[in-house]
Amino acid sequence: MVSTWRTNLRRFKPMTVLVVAGVLAAACGSATTANSGGTANTGKVGGKLLIDNESGSTWTCQFNPFNPSVNITSIGFIYEPLEFINILQTNPDGTPKVTPWLATASSWSSDFKTLTMTIRSGVKWSDGSPFSANDVLYTFNALKADPALDLNALWSVDSGPLTNVTLQGSDQVVFTFNAPAESYFYYVADQTPIVPQHIWSTQDQTKLDTYADTAPVGTGPYLMSNCSQDNIKYLRNTKYWQSKPGHPVPQVAEVDYPAFLSNTSANLYLAQGQAQWGAQYIPNIQSYYINKSPSTRHYWFPPTLNVSLFPNLNNPLLSNLAVRQAISMAIDRSQVSQRGESGYEPAANQTGIVLPTYKAWYEKSLDTTTYSPSKAESTLQAAGFTKGSDGIYANAQGQKLSFSIKTISGYTDWDASLQVITQELKAVGIEVTVQDEDSTPYTNDTQNGTFQLAYGEMPVAGPGPYYELRPLLFSGSIGSTNYERYRSTSTDALFNQYSGATPAQQLTIIHEISAVMAQDLPVIPVVEGVDWYQYDTTNFGGWPTPSNPYAQPPVWATPDNGMVLTQLYPVS
Amino acid sequence: MRYVSRRVGLFLITLWAALTVNFIIPRVMPGNEAQAVLATFRNVNPAALHALEIEFGVNVHQNLLITYFQYIWNCLTGQFGLTAQRVPVLTEIISKLPWTLGLVGVTTVIAFAIGTFVGVLGAWRRGGKLDGLLPPLLFIVASFPVFFVGLLLLFVFAVTLNWLPLSSNYSIGTEPSLSLSFIGDVLVHAILPAISLIVVTAGLWIYSMRNNMITTLAEDYVKMGRAKGLKSWRIMIDYAARNAILPNLTGFAMQLGYVLGGSILIEYTFSYPGLGYLFYTSTTDHDLPLMQALFLVYTLAVLVCVLLADLATAGLDPRTRDA
Repeated sequence: MVSTWRTNLRRFKPMTVLVVAGVLAAACGSATTANSGGTANTGKVGGKLLIDNESGSTWTCQFNPFNPSVNITSIGFIYEPLEFINILQTNPDGTPKVTPWLATASSWSSDFKTLTMTIRSGVKWSDGSPFSANDVLYTFNALKADPALDLNALWSVDSGPLTNVTLQGSDQVVFTFNAPAESYFYYVADQTPIVPQHIWSTQDQTKLDTYADTAPVGTGPYLMSNCSQDNIKYLRNTKYWQSKPGHPVPQVAEVDYPAFLSNTSANLYLAQGQAQWGAQYIPNIQSYYINKSPSTRHYWFPPTLNVSLFPNLNNPLLSNLAVRQAISMAIDRSQVSQRGESGYEPAANQTGIVLPTYKAWYEKSLDTTTYSPSKAESTLQAAGFTKGSDGIYANAQGQKLSFSIKTISGYTDWDASLQVITQELKAVGIEVTVQDEDSTPYTNDTQNGTFQLAYGEMPVAGPGPYYELRPLLFSGSIGSTNYERYRSTSTDALFNQYSGATPAQQLTIIHEISAVMAQDLPVIPVVEGVDWYQYDTTNFGGWPTPSNPYAQPPVWATPDNGMVLTQLYPVS
Repeated sequence: MRYVSRRVGLFLITLWAALTVNFIIPRVMPGNEAQAVLATFRNVNPAALHALEIEFGVNVHQNLLITYFQYIWNCLTGQFGLTAQRVPVLTEIISKLPWTLGLVGVTTVIAFAIGTFVGVLGAWRRGGKLDGLLPPLLFIVASFPVFFVGLLLLFVFAVTLNWLPLSSNYSIGTEPSLSLSFIGDVLVHAILPAISLIVVTAGLWIYSMRNNMITTLAEDYVKMGRAKGLKSWRIMIDYAARNAILPNLTGFAMQLGYVLGGSILIEYTFSYPGLGYLFYTSTTDHDLPLMQALFLVYTLAVLVCVLLADLATAGLDPRTRDA
């Protein structure tokens, strides 16, 4: 009931109230008729929008966009990227939808080693200084000068591929890479906020990571007007570059972002109708939130990442393919989804492609996902395991299929899911015990491989399954995100080809990696983790919806939040 | 004088030991700050591990002894550095301190006053209605953990009846000011955590005060007072309570020292943004500088209060000075 688990903005999972009958499996609320996504500008300006997202701690009133503990309050609002890449929407050829932002165009050399970006003219910093390609050049070089800023490890000194950034003419910036780097486009164009040279260059360039940036100057749609420990007030940037006469952008006059210490208080605030843009996990959302105003309140939980069982492949039993196959076949994923996640998080599939988000990459013929306890047992028997008197299978040496699963304490929905999984595995003669750990030791253990089985997910999604599967399976990620310690030179080669491949080749590569997932089962996806998102259309329109998924909808998703802020409009 | 110098010497040795333990404990916790940031915040690319390790100096292997002396020096000079969120540690502590002092400090005083008063009355009318009801009731409540009482009160008054706010120190969106409405708002938010703290601690004061009082009431000089025909309230207050309260005062001084540390559970339960809540987040965030500074503040508060209590005893009771 009363919990202070840091839920949503932070990666903490919520206290889950167990399955309630009648909660729909459908991952979306009723669709709104409001038109949005770049077409609806009503020409009106006004209104005060309140954001509702548990932050777990009070605001520090720092806005350094390279400080991961505060940048969700500055990117999108104040600082902007070069191009906006929507991970939820793909072009017909499978490539993600890209919207030019501070850059107007970008082009790769044929070997994907040189990226040229044309920088928009006529943009002004919020203090009136003109924005130029020099600011872009400065920003990327600042990441090199202070590696602590290079959060996406772009530069070669930080083990990325970027070796040089130069100015070409007055409005073009050229990025040179030491290897094909198409997959880095997302990090360069979308995930790097551009900061003003005339302000940032006056700071100590080797300590920019500690720069507090309490009075941020950006190009974004909002200006930070007032910040206290418990609320940040943003006012619209009246000179925003997307504004045209008769077409004001943004249209919402004021945005308030209160700091919620607990999930309960944030949910209550949302349910009382005081906030309009929620990114909250709400148990029984239908009765607690939607039913209080069904015509104006909606939710949409787009899946972005797999929640998986990670078998430690250094473990002699788990390195046996038959054991992993048996585990995968023993788990009824839809049961886990229904009973563990109240149906909010859909069942995953063994190809590792999150559906429906990345359906363009999914190949049904590769999918080996099956739920069959009897086949699970026959697979074990065929591999030489015999059932002991305690009902647990053991190999010829007498080693029992008995494992511990590490998970994060406080993620009660995961605990509920693991209860289902434990029962289902027990039914086929595999014994597992759940071991809850605090998030930091859990991260430490999974990174260092001190576990037998672990339940968890990758931290961030990207434009395509590659951005989840590479950290998961690439052997170079052992020690960070390749928890299961999968090593395969052929799979590594596929990942290495990806960044120099055309869209069609990339699709083939992902299919081959899907086949690896489906045949080798290095990781066993169970359910699909979703973005929690609620919105109220009483006062504002233009929200991202399942039918118009123009941006990742939770407010912590940067810079997607900036895209949403430019699309919202007041209704009256 | 020997007593005083011995007490001060003991204070310094305890302080040094506390500082050293404070240095060691966070360093044996599993994980590091960079992993904590990855574990805590959404939207952080796992590739950020490298940048974060540089930022927090995770892989910079410094001589532990040098780090230790640096740490002691920094503690003595009040240089606590930056938190994991890159805010000066002192700023962070100072901004949360008033809320904890206000909530837990005031309730400690109130609990002491109530406990003492009920204890005195209860002992004076031993076996009376008040004595039969309040001391046993509050003593039972005192054996509950404070968060349990807090959760119970939350369930009844905030969730079910919806009379009082669920959490936080004041309403979301109100601007702090000295206006009556804001002060009222703060008080309304403090009601539930304050009541939880008072009912849980008052019982202990009642218990010890009542016992002291009963012993004192049996003294000859109380009988003497009665024999003289003094008014009963004068005997109760001036003769008995005045003597009975002495041991409690020492206990109270020590209790004040625990005010800061004792607030963790209640602030967590009520999401009250004071030092206790800050301590909780600093632990989960693996925020070494903040954790160490908070430990230091807690230890210092307890040690200083104990020292003051010792010195006060020396002043009040001549016998201890020769001991």
